[in-house]
Amino acid sequence: MIHGLLDRPPWLVLGALLGLVVLAAFALLNERVGVVGGFADVVERVTGRRAALGWKAWFVFGVVGGGLAFRLLAGEATVRHGYGWLTRELAGPAVALVLVGAGVAIGYGAKKAGGCTSGNGLGGCASGSAASLTATGTFMATAIAVSFAIEALT
Amino acid sequence: MTRVRVASVLLGAGFGFLLSWGQFIDPDRIRDMLLLRDGYMWLMFATAVAVAFTGLRLMRRGRVRSLLTGQPVTWTTARPERRHVVGAAIFGVGWAVSDVCPGPVAAQIGQGIAWSLPLLAGIGLGVLIHLREQEAPAERTTGRRAERHAPGTALPASNPD
Repeated sequence: MIHGLLDRPPWLVLGALLGLVVLAAFALLNERVGVVGGFADVVERVTGRRAALGWKAWFVFGVVGGGLAFRLLAGEATVRHGYGWLTRELAGPAVALVLVGAGVAIGYGAKKAGGCTSGNGLGGCASGSAASLTATGTFMATAIAVSFAIEALT
Repeated sequence: MTRVRVASVLLGAGFGFLLSWGQFIDPDRIRDMLLLRDGYMWLMFATAVAVAFTGLRLMRRGRVRSLLTGQPVTWTTARPERRHVVGAAIFGVGWAVSDVCPGPVAAQIGQGIAWSLPLLAGIGLGVLIHLREQEAPAERTTGRRAERHAPGTALPASNPD
């Protein structure tokens, strides 16, 4: 176990490292990182819509592996108190239902917008794509507004 | 092809590790971010974009070629359309309700967080609904698939997002 992994590094350090991952994807593959595209690759593969997985699916498998590696090295998970406000306010089955619904919104919305927090927010904004900047501004503003509404109601 | 896969997995592993280390995968952290109580996430995100934005332009100016494809580092940009706003707003609602987005949900699976499973199922369903919508006859004429090249030689192109 490595002590200190359960404390967040300075934001400047972590931000720079995440930026380097975005750059490394260009330096190695000339591609923009994106997670929802990897999920979509898997969905298309599973439903017989594509013959082989694209690189983003492998990227997502790596993200899963990175989470596992972190947990093994840190000794515990970084989600320690249930699952946020949902498990504090709702009973188990309701949490699962709400999460499925939220997932549908995330999957559908991100595909329609051409990317999620990583694809549009990191990769797209770094590329200077006006579409990505618009999408990122929109989902951040929406998420802030909805979070304040949830806070007011709970 | 194998090299592209290995590189993709390693890039993802770095990404998942960093998301975990920054506690980006903890719903309470995202909630604090979205309620504007925690500047850390915003500053980290802005730093990541700034580093990548600057690095990309340096790579282009230096005519750097990507290691596995041999192509000069390039990228495409898109003009905002209605779907970017509508899709992002729908995404934003799901993000705020769950306080988790697609990268963190994948890292949560790796960390063994059981609540990530219903969320993952929902994301898969949402992707499928979008896919079906794209495949509907009325939408076919506006299809925008496969606009980019495949990385490497043998792997098929991934989804654009």
